[in-house]
Amino acid sequence: MADAKTWARVKSPWVLHFNSGACNGCDIEIVALLTPKYDIERFGIKLEPSPRHADVLLATGCVTHQCAERLKRVYDQMPQPKFVVAIGACACSGSVFEGNYNVVGGVDKVIPVTAYIPGCPPRPEAIIDGVLKLLSTISTPPKKEKQVQAHRAEPALAEVKQNGKQ
Amino acid sequence: MGVNGDASFVANNGLHHEVFKVLLDADEKTGITAITGLDLGANIGVYYHVRTSKSFFTIKAEVPKENPRLKTLIDIHPGALFHELEVADLMGAVFEGNELKGHFVLSENWPEGVYPLRKDVDLSQVKFVSTPEHETNKSAEGREVKIIIGPQHPALLEPEKFSVTVDGETVTKVEPRIGYVHRGIEKSTESHTYLQNTYLVERVCGICNPCHAYSFVGTVEKILKLDIPERAQYLRVIALELNRLHSHLLVLGHAGLEIGYETVFQYFWRDREPIMDLIELTSGNRVYGSLMTVGGVRRDISQDHIPKIKSVIESLRGKLPFYRKIYNDEPTLRLRMKDVGTLSREDALRLSVIGPIARASGVDIDVRKDRPYAVYGEIPFKEIVYTDGDTWARMNVRMDEVEESLNILDYVLDHMPTGPIRIEAPRSVPPGEAVCTIEAPRGELLYYVRSNGTDIPERVKIRTPTFANIPSFLKTAIGESIADVPSNFVSLDPCFSCTDR
Amino acid sequence: MIAMIDLLLIFRILVFPGFTFILFLALFCEWIDRKLEARIQNRVGPIVAGPGGILQPLADFIKLLTKEDIEPRDTKKLVFRFAPLAAFTIMIFAMCFLPIDGASVLSSGTSIAESGFNGDLIIILAFATIANFLLFLAGWASANPYGTISSARVLTQFLGYDIPLYIIALTPAFIAGSLSIGVIAAGVPYILLAPWAFVLFIITMQAELEKGPFDVPHSESELVGGLETEYTGAKLAFLHLTRDVQVVFGSALVVTLFLGGPSGPVFFGLDWLFHTIWFVLKLIVVVAISAYITNVFARLRIDQVLTGNWKILLPAALLSLMLTITLVTWVYHPFGIGV
Repeated sequence: MADAKTWARVKSPWVLHFNSGACNGCDIEIVALLTPKYDIERFGIKLEPSPRHADVLLATGCVTHQCAERLKRVYDQMPQPKFVVAIGACACSGSVFEGNYNVVGGVDKVIPVTAYIPGCPPRPEAIIDGVLKLLSTISTPPKKEKQVQAHRAEPALAEVKQNGKQ
Repeated sequence: MGVNGDASFVANNGLHHEVFKVLLDADEKTGITAITGLDLGANIGVYYHVRTSKSFFTIKAEVPKENPRLKTLIDIHPGALFHELEVADLMGAVFEGNELKGHFVLSENWPEGVYPLRKDVDLSQVKFVSTPEHETNKSAEGREVKIIIGPQHPALLEPEKFSVTVDGETVTKVEPRIGYVHRGIEKSTESHTYLQNTYLVERVCGICNPCHAYSFVGTVEKILKLDIPERAQYLRVIALELNRLHSHLLVLGHAGLEIGYETVFQYFWRDREPIMDLIELTSGNRVYGSLMTVGGVRRDISQDHIPKIKSVIESLRGKLPFYRKIYNDEPTLRLRMKDVGTLSREDALRLSVIGPIARASGVDIDVRKDRPYAVYGEIPFKEIVYTDGDTWARMNVRMDEVEESLNILDYVLDHMPTGPIRIEAPRSVPPGEAVCTIEAPRGELLYYVRSNGTDIPERVKIRTPTFANIPSFLKTAIGESIADVPSNFVSLDPCFSCTDR
Repeated sequence: MIAMIDLLLIFRILVFPGFTFILFLALFCEWIDRKLEARIQNRVGPIVAGPGGILQPLADFIKLLTKEDIEPRDTKKLVFRFAPLAAFTIMIFAMCFLPIDGASVLSSGTSIAESGFNGDLIIILAFATIANFLLFLAGWASANPYGTISSARVLTQFLGYDIPLYIIALTPAFIAGSLSIGVIAAGVPYILLAPWAFVLFIITMQAELEKGPFDVPHSESELVGGLETEYTGAKLAFLHLTRDVQVVFGSALVVTLFLGGPSGPVFFGLDWLFHTIWFVLKLIVVVAISAYITNVFARLRIDQVLTGNWKILLPAALLSLMLTITLVTWVYHPFGIGV
């Protein structure tokens, strides 16, 4: 039974996209994922309109003061179990906008982040790779921290990090 | 580079209003391109960048900092509304007759009376106030329901809030709240060198970044009075036109998504990918190529690239008749786009609308034709003008411009001169100021740079096309069905990261 | 003996061709729909869950069942909880009247024609309407403006389109001279005798099922998730499943009324197997036609959807009925066709 549950979660991650202050670069690349060249539906990934339906939050952009509260709300509206993927340098750390007067910083200043995909913007392939690596951590039992470490050691574009035990 | 935008005159004590009125009476195409607020020490400078049919200049007004009041222009030119509100919010100038309530682009928890673009403000000491009560989706009185589109909404890729009040299915009121993506880039440029800023201003927008980069280096080159090698100019045109191609294909597809025509969206985005590959080939990256630099471009294209570019152009040209057929003949698409969001020519002029939206309403403004920059003066191309003014016309303007862009690329590749691609440019820029306007995919993009002799600019003003076009949406959405709001809106090709900066 | 019949009946209701079979048929049709949509749009579609991604809808369903179930504060709790499940139950019940394996689930008849009773056509159409009404309640109970508007659209749309749907559904009934689904399905495929009614019925069905270009209640660009916006977990899973069963039901109705239902050549005495195969094959054809229509048109506006109904479809349905009656009275029955 638990196997079926894990299998279903890995095969059917529905994602929600939230832009909390990005420049559109990452956002357009996320939309490009839906299109024939990358076709992310292959992996069962669907872009959902409502936070209530989503499993994975794709957060892009540094968090502006105006957006911070909204980002938190969207995260709270998602049902458990949920994951957050920070896409792009801005979402990971704030990037060039870090320290500006209207910017809080990276996404992890507001909500817990499960995986970081750096790049300005990351290529669509990198985003797919990152999300799939995140899914591979769901299917492996949480004990095997080492395997996650091994991913990080790889010269991969995506860096996956365990953040908070679900 | 010519003298475009370098003409200016001072009009203090309410004279700016008179001057503008005279201009407006003399030339119907007079419009406010931007209003720049400057901190000049004891005074606040309010610079009106004005365009007329064929010329461009700046009306400079100054007001004392203690009492920064001056007369609004919205009584004679409603298009000035957003520009004035922005200066009021960021610089603290007060426009009599157009007072700002709350904040316009700054976040809601920003303290009153602190103006980030003033030089004497210590932004590290800013105390944020508590956030006001969150607006919920509660219904308004009676039959009217308030629908909040955004900040997280599938019709918007970016966070921005539009409170749409509907009576049944008819829109009665639209209240925008921009500023969700306000990152303070204008202030940030004042602490970076010109070299760093070239990369920073690209990050204003992930779609039209070469336009931002070109516009910024264009202003700096004007102050430096540099003569850019011709090959560099041609390479810049290639970057700008590839950018226009990908941006137009993007919005032509995105419009399909908004009217529930997903197949069109998938087809357009499929054919956008080869263009992205070309951008990567010529600049080195899919999105941020950072091709432009002060003095030229950073990267040349080799002779073997040209056949590859030409083959992509040819294959896209071969697909265009099919897409034209979809946009012209498909009955359900016409039902959803014809007579939706109609903007009359008079309104387009009054609201100072620019780019494809203006050209769809019969206003023939295209910076490439009116005030040619780079080598656009030498390139033969048509200016696309439609007169219907509806969503359908706006999309068809873009469709025709895709073809013109392909022609321009063909011409440029055939006539590419040889020679250096960049010249040495000094790191420090002598005191001066300049304006550079270019035709970005969404319309006229303006950069104003004021230098002070160091390697850091004193003020960089960015006025983006979407910022100038949003008022037209607020006008056309009223009285239409709620179902038409997304398609009407996307026909502006909105880009909020541009709008808010 | 009585115990044997009871066991068979229970098997028929719970496993085949009842609940379990219909459930998997619905998920299978969703997979076909998604795959075709992807192919039309130049994509691949689901591919990693099971061979060719065939288990994708099942994965979605199981995942939704195991998600946290959130009930927002302002919802009308009772309706919010039971409307999705009730709609699903009614749709499954309506499916049970269709002669999937040559007989309806509850019948003990020996031939297709005897598998129903006179008037069951009207009953299942009524069930479909009730299920739509429950979906309206589900959206209304979620106390969300998107849900409210979406469910208002569901209501306007199905109230409008029910009328032409009933009228056109009567066309094959007139030719067969019976209101029993079994009798209609046992006759010749009525698409041959009334092709115009088949075309009209497909269009009306498309509108009744809220599929493109009539999918105004599910318009993502203005209504986010439509009436499903506030639903999570198991309730969302059942809302999705209800929609899938609705689509199967609509297509199965087209198959039964116009394509001869489960009729077709049978071999080796395995009537039930071949009847099921024929039924499912015809069902796939109809699902494919429906997917094609969905993908080659833009979504209409609600006012255009309603104008289309009152000004075009309703008069066309009436004309179709008149034409059918004329043909039946003076051509088909005197020559012994379709009786």
